[in-house]
Amino acid sequence: MAHTPFGVEVLTPDGELFNDEVEMVSTRTSTGSIGILAHHTPLLAMLDPAELRLYKSESDIVRFAQAEGYLQMTGERALILVEEAVPPDQLDRSTLEARLRAAEEELERAEEGSERAAKAGRDKRRLECFIELAGSSG
Amino acid sequence: MSQRDIKTKIESVRNIQKITRAMEMVSAARLRRAEQRIAALRPYAAAIRRMTRQAADAAEGLPRLSILAAREPKTIGIMFVTSDRGLAGAFNSQILRAGLRSAAEHEREGREVVVWGSGRRGVSSLAFRGREPARGYTGFTDRPSYADARQIAGDLIAAFTDEEVDRVEVIYNGYVSPLTQRVTQEVLLPLKEASVLGEDAEDDEDSEGQQSSDGAEHDKHALVEYEPDAGEILKRLVPDYVEISIYRALLESTASEHGARMTAMRSASENASELIDTYTLEMNRARQAEITQEIMEVVAGAEGLG
Repeated sequence: MAHTPFGVEVLTPDGELFNDEVEMVSTRTSTGSIGILAHHTPLLAMLDPAELRLYKSESDIVRFAQAEGYLQMTGERALILVEEAVPPDQLDRSTLEARLRAAEEELERAEEGSERAAKAGRDKRRLECFIELAGSSG
Repeated sequence: MSQRDIKTKIESVRNIQKITRAMEMVSAARLRRAEQRIAALRPYAAAIRRMTRQAADAAEGLPRLSILAAREPKTIGIMFVTSDRGLAGAFNSQILRAGLRSAAEHEREGREVVVWGSGRRGVSSLAFRGREPARGYTGFTDRPSYADARQIAGDLIAAFTDEEVDRVEVIYNGYVSPLTQRVTQEVLLPLKEASVLGEDAEDDEDSEGQQSSDGAEHDKHALVEYEPDAGEILKRLVPDYVEISIYRALLESTASEHGARMTAMRSASENASELIDTYTLEMNRARQAEITQEIMEVVAGAEGLG
């Protein structure tokens, strides 16, 4: 079934990754998976690491491995801000695993409950998610 | 000075000029890259700042978050953003001058000051002037990465939440154009006093302006859903906003540094040209004098014979 297309922008600190019309956006917020169609109510949500899928049509899907970020729905447009977004086929398992080990070490070193520990925990979660996505695409 | 002395001088000035010309060209290339990175970051940074404003408005009246609340500012933390290398005109000294002046003002009013520094120049100058930085960050000012900004932001936020400082300010060379840098001072934390809340439409400039100001207008009237809720979102947004503000400061500082060095090296090359002209003139004069001298000697000799 075809849906009404709407504008989506994906921005990272290194620039714009995607700016086009899509029928549906599928990703994960801090409270669970979410699918967004045109005319969604205004929304500001926190995004968790996940696979971001932009459905240009039923069969034409643009995928990214998404780090943490935010999703803002205003009027007829969706704005997705993520720290990092990588096409799944560009994920490199071994570098990710090395970074994961570094994050785990950092987590152990950091004082419990500190800002540093929270950051390391988030890094760990992101990297685990990315590794999973790297596995499924390769 | 003999002809030979002047010749050596001209040669050495020529060599210096070769170096300053090369440095000018390297800086110009790096400046272009830094400019591109600023352009890439701007939409993201503007959106984060816009969301922070929106969530802060919505979180008004919610249970207080430690990171938002303003407390009696007893200790002020100032982050100096400078460069690792010199030879960039007044680039570093204007940051130090402005930052130290504001530090002295705080102290006159009975507040303590903690300084941080990024860039080897700033860190060593601060230590030299008796203000040992609490943390110094060096080695990346040529090409700062997001990870660098994140590390600095993490430390600044920790200092604020652990109540080592009651306010976080950052001072850097804002990039206006290759020829112009503007010393910029921003309050990052607490959010209540942060520069971001005061600026409103300023960030929503240029191409984005149309659509985002429409969006902002829309938000004020429509009921926005927050997932999970505005307070929780803000808890994560504020660190991101600090990170992005630091990253922007680092990038702008880098672009400014290359711009300042390019300008400094261009005027050094021009000075070298002038020097070469002066010395060449002097050398010609010396040679002329020598020739005149020789002719006189020949004439005097001929007269003596006759």
